[in-house]
Amino acid sequence: MNGAAFEQVNKKVVRTDVSPGGEVIARRGAMLGYSGGVTFRPISGPGGVGGMVGRAMQGESVAMMVAEGQGNAYYGFRGLYVTLVQLHNETLTVEADRLLAHHAHLSTSVEMIGSGGVRQAVRGAMSGQGLFTTKVSGTGSVALLSHGGTFEIPVDGSGMVGVDPQAYVGHVGALQIDFKISAGVRDVVGRGSGEATQLHCTGHGRVYIQASEEKF
Amino acid sequence: MITIPVDGPGGSTVYDARTLPSNDNVNSYSFCIDLDGEWFTAAGAMIAYYGNVDFSGVAAFASRAAWVASRFSSPLYTQDWVVASGQGKLVIGDRGNDINSYDLEVGNLTIKAKNLLAFETGLELKQSIVPGFLTLIGTGKFLASSVGPVIFVEPPFRADPDALLGWADCPSPSVHYDHNWMAQSFMAGIQGMFGRESGEERQYDFTGAGTILMQSSELLRADSALLRLIESQTNLLDANSAGTLGHKLIARSQQQ
Repeated sequence: MNGAAFEQVNKKVVRTDVSPGGEVIARRGAMLGYSGGVTFRPISGPGGVGGMVGRAMQGESVAMMVAEGQGNAYYGFRGLYVTLVQLHNETLTVEADRLLAHHAHLSTSVEMIGSGGVRQAVRGAMSGQGLFTTKVSGTGSVALLSHGGTFEIPVDGSGMVGVDPQAYVGHVGALQIDFKISAGVRDVVGRGSGEATQLHCTGHGRVYIQASEEKF
Repeated sequence: MITIPVDGPGGSTVYDARTLPSNDNVNSYSFCIDLDGEWFTAAGAMIAYYGNVDFSGVAAFASRAAWVASRFSSPLYTQDWVVASGQGKLVIGDRGNDINSYDLEVGNLTIKAKNLLAFETGLELKQSIVPGFLTLIGTGKFLASSVGPVIFVEPPFRADPDALLGWADCPSPSVHYDHNWMAQSFMAGIQGMFGRESGEERQYDFTGAGTILMQSSELLRADSALLRLIESQTNLLDANSAGTLGHKLIARSQQQ
C-alpha cells in the first residue's frame, strides 16, 4: 500500500498516513486523533480570504482543514458511515456536506449540479440537496459520509437509473443528472407516494446511494 | 400466526431464557448478562430481562448493603445508576450503539461516563479528575457503548475530545493546543471568521505506556452529572465572575 491511501479501520472510521507531499484535506471537526508530528490548519479554499468570502457568498458552508507533517491520523464524523471511493483519473461529484477527507494531490472545485442557471438552483433547493457540490478529480481515494453506508450503481448508457434525491450521495463519470417531478393531484393534497421527485441519471459512470433517506 | 425467518440473510434468531448468551454479546448492539448476585447498571441501560431480578437505586441499595458505598464512590452519579440483584438474564443496550465487554484484572480504566453501561461488583467506580469521565479499578467485567466499534491505539497519541472513549493504564492526558491552528484561527478571527468553530485546535495528549480507546465522534450528549460537577466548580468564582459567566451562558443558550 502506498503512503497516500486511506485504510478503513471500521465502518465509521478511516486512517491515513500524513507526510510532506502527502497532506490530507478533511472536513473541520472530523479529526478523531493522530500520532506523530501532525499539525492542522484551517483552509479557506482557493484564493485565501477572497476565496473564503467567495465561497460563503456561493453558499458552500462546509469548512475544511489540512493536515501537514509526518504521522498518521484518524477521521470520522458523528458516527456516520464512511465509504472510500477509488478514483482512477476520474471526477467525483459529491454534495459538499458528505465529503469527509481526501489527499491534497486531488484537485477540488465547487460547482453547481447540472449546467447552471437559476432553474438549476431552484431544482437544488427543491431536491433538498445542497445547492452546491464539490468536484474531486485525479487518482486516489476519497472518504464520503453517509447514513447506513453507501452502495454503488453502475450507469452504462443502456438505460436510465432513477434515484431518490435524499438517497443520492454522489457520482463518478460523465453522467447527466436530471431532476424530474411527476407530481399529480394526489401530491398536491398531500397523499403522494413520496416518490414524486427523482433524479434521473444517464450516461456512463457510477452513482453512489446511501441506504437511508435521512438528511444530515 | 406469523412465520419468523430464522438464521440466514435477513433472518433472526429467536431467544428464550435458556438460549440467550451467557455474559456475551447477543449482537453488536446488545449484551446479555447472566445475573447471579449483583451488577451495577446505568439507569436506562436495561432493555429486557428474564428471571427474578430486582432493580433499586444505588442509594436505596446502599442502605441495605454497606459494601455498595465503598464500591460506588461517585456521589455525583448515584442517581444515574441502579443495582440489579437476583438471578436471571439481563439484556443491555444503548440506542443502537455498539456494545463491548471488557475484563479488568487488577487494573484501571477510565471511560466517558455516558458510555459506561454496567459493571461487576468486583470493580470500584471513582470519578476521574477529567470532568465527564469515570475510572474503574480492580478485577471484573464491565460493559461500555461506542459509536461504531472501539479502536485501540497506543501512545504517544493525541485524541479529539469528542472521539475519546477512554484510556487504560497510561497517565491522565494533558491538553495539547495546536499552535499552527491557533495562529490561523486568530488571523481568521481578524478577517471576520466565516465558518464554524471546530475545536480542532484542542486535543488530549497521551504519553507513557498504556492503551487509548477511541470511537467515531459523537454529538454532545446531555450528561446531568457533568452539569452538577461544573455547577459545583463555579463555587470557586466570586459573585461578580459568576454573574458574568451566567450572562455568557444565557447568550449561548439563546443562540442555539
